[in-house]
Order: sequence, then C-alpha cells, then structure tokens
Amino acid sequence: MNREMEEKLKDVCKRVVKEVDALIAYKRKKTEPREVLTVIRSEDEVDSISLSPLSVNNPAKLLMELLKTEKKVAVVAKGCDAKAIRQLIIEGKIDRDRVYIIGVSCPGVVDYRKFIKKIDDLSDVERVELIDDKIVVNGKDEIPFSEVIFENCLYCSNPTPVIYDELIGEPREGRVDFSDIDEFERMDREKRWEYWAKEFERCIRCHACRNSCPLCYCTECIVDPTNLAISPMTPAEEKATYPKILGKTISISDNVLYHLVRVLHHAGRCAGCGECERACPMGIPLRKLERKLEKVVIEEFGYDVTKEEIPFLSRLEVMR
Amino acid sequence: MKAYSGDFFKDLSRKLVEAGYRVFAPVKVKDFYLFKEVKSAQIPDDYVNTVKSVKEIVFPQNEVLIKYGDWIEEVPIDEEKKAVIGVRPCDAKALKLLDKVFLEDVVDPYYEARRKNTVLIGYACNKAGNYCFCKSLGLSPFGTEGLDLLVIKTDKKYLVDEVSDKGKEIAKLLDLEDATDEDLKVKEELEKKALESFRISINVENVKIMPEVFESDYWKEVALNCISCGVCTYLCPTCYCFDMLDEGERRGYRYRCWDSCMFPLYTLETSSHNPRSEKWQRLRNRFYDKFHYMVKRKGEIFCVGCGRCIEFCPVGIDITEVINGLSR
Repeated sequence: MNREMEEKLKDVCKRVVKEVDALIAYKRKKTEPREVLTVIRSEDEVDSISLSPLSVNNPAKLLMELLKTEKKVAVVAKGCDAKAIRQLIIEGKIDRDRVYIIGVSCPGVVDYRKFIKKIDDLSDVERVELIDDKIVVNGKDEIPFSEVIFENCLYCSNPTPVIYDELIGEPREGRVDFSDIDEFERMDREKRWEYWAKEFERCIRCHACRNSCPLCYCTECIVDPTNLAISPMTPAEEKATYPKILGKTISISDNVLYHLVRVLHHAGRCAGCGECERACPMGIPLRKLERKLEKVVIEEFGYDVTKEEIPFLSRLEVMR
Repeated sequence: MKAYSGDFFKDLSRKLVEAGYRVFAPVKVKDFYLFKEVKSAQIPDDYVNTVKSVKEIVFPQNEVLIKYGDWIEEVPIDEEKKAVIGVRPCDAKALKLLDKVFLEDVVDPYYEARRKNTVLIGYACNKAGNYCFCKSLGLSPFGTEGLDLLVIKTDKKYLVDEVSDKGKEIAKLLDLEDATDEDLKVKEELEKKALESFRISINVENVKIMPEVFESDYWKEVALNCISCGVCTYLCPTCYCFDMLDEGERRGYRYRCWDSCMFPLYTLETSSHNPRSEKWQRLRNRFYDKFHYMVKRKGEIFCVGCGRCIEFCPVGIDITEVINGLSR
C-alpha cells in the first residue's frame, strides 16, 4: 500500500463516484495519521481519500447501513472486507447488484496502537506507506512492518478480495495457518481456562467487539433485548417468560457467556477482519476464539467460507 | 512544597500498606496501564494514563446494594481505606465533577464513603500524551484540584505538593525535606514545558453555539461511523450513568452497574417508545450532556481532556474534532 496504489485508487474513484450514489473509502483524521471511513458523493471529494497501511476499518457495516437509503454504493474493500461483504450477500443482507466493489489487494495493515508507540509526535506524520517490508513514514523514517503489523494479518487467508468489480494491486496468495491455535490446543484444559479467565476478567462489557463486527447485524441481541419492553399492560406471566440469559455484570460468568455466545454466532461466517480485537479497549485476544471456530468449521465440517453459497448454519446436512 | 530524594512511589506505597491502606497504582497489562492493587508501586516513564480512569475505584462498574431472599440484607457500605497512586490531574478533577453529581442535593452514601476513605496521590504530567487536551479546558497537567498530594518528578528527585490536610498526614509517613528555591524553579520550568507540549486542543468558545445547532444535520455526519458501543462512556472519567438491576427471582441481589447513553436500551421507555432510537441522537446527547446540559445544571463542562474517548474509539470519533467543527 504505497502512494502509487493510492493514486490509482483515486483515479478509479473519480470515475466510479459518478456512477453511484455514494462511495465508501478511507480518509485521514485531521489531527493524526489515523484513518477513518468516509462517504463521498462527488468527484471533487476524491482527493480527500487515502489508502495506506492505516486504512484498517471494515466498511461492510457502513455499506449495509448506507444501502438502506442509497440505491447504489461503491466501496473500497481489502481482502477481509470483501469477505465480509460476500458473506452479507449470501445471507441476503446486501444486494450484489447495488454494490460496486473496488477491491484492494492487501499486504496486511498496521496495528495503530503499536504504531503510535514508535512515533515521537503524531502531528508530524503526513504520509504512511508500506514499501517492501517496511513502513515508511513521511517518505523517510522506516519501521519494520513486522514490528507494527496487526497480528491477525499474519494469518490472512484472503489478502486478495474474494469478490470485486475491479482490483487495485497485484493478487496475493493467502495461507491457511492455524499454528497459533494448534499450539493453544496443546495446552491442558486448566491452563486454557486460566488463560481465558484472566483475559475475560478485564472485559468491561462495552460491547465494542459485537458492535464493530460487520456480521453481528441482529437488531435484537440476547445481550440487551430492546424489543422486550414491559408495558403497564404486560401480564406477569408474560414478564416471567422473557428470556434473561445473561446478566450485565462483569463477573467472570457473565463475561464468559457473553463472549462465547457472541463467537458461536460467527461459526462459518467470520470474515477474519479482526474488527472485534481492534475495537477492544482492554486488549482481549478475541481473534483467538474466532480462529478456533474457523479451524473447527474447516477441519470438522469441510466448509470453506469463501466458496460456499449456502450459509454454514443453514446447511442442514452438516448437522447430521 | 516538599522534596524527596528516594523512590517516592515505592516508599510511600509500602508505608501506606503498613498503615492499613489498600493501595492502587498503575500496573502494566500487555501494553497499557490499569489501576491494580499493589504492595509496592512503581510507575515507569512511559506511563501516560490508565485505560480505565480512577472513577472505577470510587464508583465501581458493578456494586451490590442489597441481597434478598426470605428477608432483605443490606450490604454494608464500603469504608475500606484506599490510596490511589499515580492519579493524573485530569482524573482528579473528574472526581471533583463526579462529586457534584453524587454529593450535591441527594447524597449517594456508597460513593460518599468511598470518596471519603480514598486518598488520591497525584502525579504531574511532564509531557502531554498524544490525546491529551486538558490545557484547552483551562486545566493543567500540574493541576492539584481534587488531589491530596501532587508529586512532580524532576531529574534528581520528587517534589511533593501537600494539597489537602489528608495529604499532609500521608506525607508524614516519609521523611520529606523542604523544597529549595532551586526546586521551585525547576518545577515552574517543568510545568511550562508540559503546557507547551500539547498537540491537540478543544475550542471551548464553540460550546456556546450548541443551543442553536441541536437540530443540525452535522450530528448525523458526526455519527456516521458510530457503532453505539460503550467505549467512550465507560472509559470517560466523568460519565456516571448507572442502571439498577435485580439478579435472581426469589433470592438474589440488587446491584447497580454502569450504563451508557450510547446503548439503545438506555432510553427505552416501558411503553416501548425510545426518544433516542437513532445512533446520531445518542451520540449527540453525549456531546450535549458534557458541554451543555451539565454546564447548565452544575456550572462546569463535564470533560477534563484526558483523551481516552479519542484514543480508544473503535471508529475514530474525536471529541475535539466534533466540538471544534461546530458552526452555525
């Protein structure tokens, strides 16, 4: 992800933005190099967009939201972003015909929290590029990519978008690598429990992991049901039958239940973008849980999330 | 002003433990800091602030109020002696703001007891962090408001400002010398340097136009990427909303737990009407609450410029950008 790719993307966007109602891309924040998702609607806004190793957030969620009001939306999508969009298409949440996907072949993105620790003054950073295996700041200062890469990207299976209308950058090979999970599985049960108890102990139940996930799109979640309003007319028997599956405390039992329920709903669906882990203010390694599930889905059920047309949980034959 | 040449935080924390205090200090977890109970405090130089503020010590995320079964059992008020070491001036100021909520008019006995029994040992910031903007709110990285002691680290020693009577008592635990004129000069220089190190700021003047722009589409724009999570409010040192819940049908406990105005459930009424059903309405409320409603109700802006909500927002919403971007 260097300047050349960014320029190419801008050229593409200049053309595409005229053909759609809105275009989702990345732009730099005003006061720091961090990038955020932005929606542009005209050619002259194209110059404000950027594409760099700091273009991290998954646009699929915003895409789904915009499609409620816009007829046709273009979106800049990296490998994992496209995987999420594809999943939303096969789940009937996004209409393929109303989306124009500008795919970006992605070498991995930067973990911003690691990145800022390497920078003296964030205000000085004007340009961040990935050139070969180095993150180059302002065209001169170099940081080895391996020191600031978002760990999740090391295991990326689809750096090239699985679905796109046009592609920027040369296609890249992904890999199926569960070595970290294999290693984890070799730990005994008590050790694993100890590990997760320690991690979940920090959870503050801000629900950022759930809310940032493009595939957690339910309007009603068992964690905080909003449609179960109790009115003065609600009889006691009805109140009694309302499900209360987990409490709102940050006790280990509520936290574990929250995370396990959340993760299990992603079986055979997770796009692997890592938004959950990135969103977590408490540094809980949430991708580990998702990746364990991915491994089971592949190894036990032979389901390839990037190829199948029927959602995993709808494929009844795997349930036998 | 006093001075100490030894390892102040370590020595004081040990004395405090001996004196029966539960001592909390910033502890590195992975690559960030959290307040944790320690026997001996040590604060490395890369410490800017904790992810969760000192709020959680006087106003914990979950707090059991009563237990019930065949009868009701009151849970005794927590009157343990606690000391928090390494509190940044912004967080201490935030507790002064929380005092206005919990101790004015109706007094919250749980909060009151914890507050009364907690000693705050502040640590002046020699350099503003990446997301700090307390200066633009009229505060200082060397501010003392709300603290019992303020500790300033110089090249050679620690300077100790005895802010309150409680602080004076605590300071007696160590043999402190009087600060010299030279020390005071060094302190002044450090403060000046710290005040010059701010990278971002908030334009407080802009807050005045808030009553006129409530209906603006700006709020929809600002909320475009908002995912309605609780990061900003839970990490905020001045957010204080909580919910009360009962756990258990015939026997169980009643507890309160932090709540967030970013959650749709927060304003859902029993009639199933929700006055803030859209995420932009909820996000707008956060800014109005901090910069307008609380100014009206309590006379002060409920933001201390710690920058946690900027640093940890999963989608990059920036409180300074939002306020600075307000226009008629």
